[in-house]
Amino acid sequence: MFSIGLRYCGGCNPQIDRSRVIRNLNKGLNKRGLKVDLTTDKERAIDIVLLINGCMHACLEEEYRREGNNPQFISVKGEMVDDRYVEEKSIPGFLIKKIMNLFNT
Amino acid sequence: MTMMTGKDYIDSLRALSPEVYFMGQKISRIVDEPMFQPHIHAAAMTYELAHDPEYEQIMTATSHLTGEKVNRFTHIHQSIDDLVKKVRMMRLLGQKTGTCFQRCVGLDGLNGIYVTTYDIDQKYGTDYHERFKKYLLEVQKNDWMPSGAMTDARGDRSLRPSKQAHPDTYLHIKKRLEDGIVVSGIKAHITGAINSHEILTMPTRTMGEEDRDFALSFAIPADTKGVTYIFSRQTNDTRRLDGVLDAGNPKYGIVGGEAIIIFKDVFVPWERVFMAGEYDFTNELVETFAGYHRSNYGGCKVGLADVVIGGSNWIADAHGINKASHIVDKLTEMIAMAETCWSCTLACSYEGYRTPSGAYHINPLLANVTKLNITRMVYEWMRLAQDIAGGKIITLPSEKDFESPETMEILTECFAGKEGVPPMDIIKMLRLIENMSVGAGLPEAMHGAGSPAAQKIMIARRSGIDRKMELAKIIAGIRKDTYFEDIIGKDEAAHWDEVKKKIKEKKVQIY
Repeated sequence: MFSIGLRYCGGCNPQIDRSRVIRNLNKGLNKRGLKVDLTTDKERAIDIVLLINGCMHACLEEEYRREGNNPQFISVKGEMVDDRYVEEKSIPGFLIKKIMNLFNT
Repeated sequence: MTMMTGKDYIDSLRALSPEVYFMGQKISRIVDEPMFQPHIHAAAMTYELAHDPEYEQIMTATSHLTGEKVNRFTHIHQSIDDLVKKVRMMRLLGQKTGTCFQRCVGLDGLNGIYVTTYDIDQKYGTDYHERFKKYLLEVQKNDWMPSGAMTDARGDRSLRPSKQAHPDTYLHIKKRLEDGIVVSGIKAHITGAINSHEILTMPTRTMGEEDRDFALSFAIPADTKGVTYIFSRQTNDTRRLDGVLDAGNPKYGIVGGEAIIIFKDVFVPWERVFMAGEYDFTNELVETFAGYHRSNYGGCKVGLADVVIGGSNWIADAHGINKASHIVDKLTEMIAMAETCWSCTLACSYEGYRTPSGAYHINPLLANVTKLNITRMVYEWMRLAQDIAGGKIITLPSEKDFESPETMEILTECFAGKEGVPPMDIIKMLRLIENMSVGAGLPEAMHGAGSPAAQKIMIARRSGIDRKMELAKIIAGIRKDTYFEDIIGKDEAAHWDEVKKKIKEKKVQIY
């Protein structure tokens, strides 16, 4: 089973419903029969980090880079995923494709 | 890379020969024309301060293309720090000129086109972005000032560009050739147009498929064949020809020196075309440009506020009333409003983000809030400046009367203030306050970078009002509040049943 570490920004004024994005991501992964463990447990070993920033300013990504963490991550930042603009409703589907590519499934 | 000084900039304009008309006359040498010189001096300040070690930290930047030092007005923002320094630069220049220094429109055009061409290429596989980077290198290498030409003549606002009675109401492509395009149309209210080295055009609105030929962005030298400028009038503009004092700000003028630009069958080579028909990216370009530009107003206009607040305090002191509580109160109001606008522009810069192109953009919601505040607060702080300065700002005799042997003595006596203050200094300050608070600067604060309605559209679009409704529904008890249930350790409905029961059984101590 693949493990994805979820990290949330502070959520002061998010442009997207972060919980809904993750709920729909989880549902979508299950629907495709992909066994992926989404965890917020920072002690657990993970394969990749998913940063969930509420807006494009992306405080979390900035902090994550500044702290010199594992450079392999996917960053949701409002209606943007990494360097692509993605509408909120399409973010879970976009993430699923990215995750499937990463894990070659 | 050579960064020009103010004088170099003025000399560089002599090499150009744009076709300029004003008051029905063709003006052959704009640099030597007193009507235009104040605007040229204001733009020259953007060059001059870049050479002063005291200001180079904000006036210059490191080009991401070459790694060399460039004037920040030619720079693509590479970080939040760049966005913040950009608005600090705007405030500084407002303080140094007391007017519009014009060069920010081109800067915002460069950044807006940089961001948008990258995204167009991602979708269509075009090479606009590489073309634009080559152009940008030229801008940086030559330290050019491009005018940002966005607003079209627009005609009947209820009709789309392609449906206008006159085809040139909006700038558009007339012909597509192997080596370039031929364009015609009119751009209006273009700040600093006659004293810019280049014209950088952008569409003025979102275009539909039928407006494909109006979805257009390009750059050309300011004196390209087929381009004509008609310089606009401003309040009290011909006072510049009456002498020095009556103009109020004879060195740097009043607002930006706008012009209408007429393009008549102008040829643009493909290497200088950055959008030609990609109508689905017009909205992005307009919004990106407008976001940058609206954020600036919380910098430059606050710089102007610094000048007018200082001037108002000085005149109150010269009149011997600066300790009066109502004066202190008015000055404090002016400062609070100015710093509110400054807070807005700093916030929209600090809350900026990295676009896919790598360039940084401001927070668009906050930038629009910044500009909306400017459309109101500039009027208010200028109203207070007029209030403090007194009615003299609109009744002063002319400079000629102050110089005339017949009237000089009595006028100087009449306009004297407290002892020790030269009366002519009082007149100078009153004229400056008149220039800044009565003239064209006010509607410029209203309509420059877009009218209030445009800001409200953007604010409404980006406010996330659905999410705000959800927040209200949770607090009102319409939607489940899981955090509340965790706090009370039970289901919310059960909790309220218990509370009601307690009240009914009078188990509440207060009864």
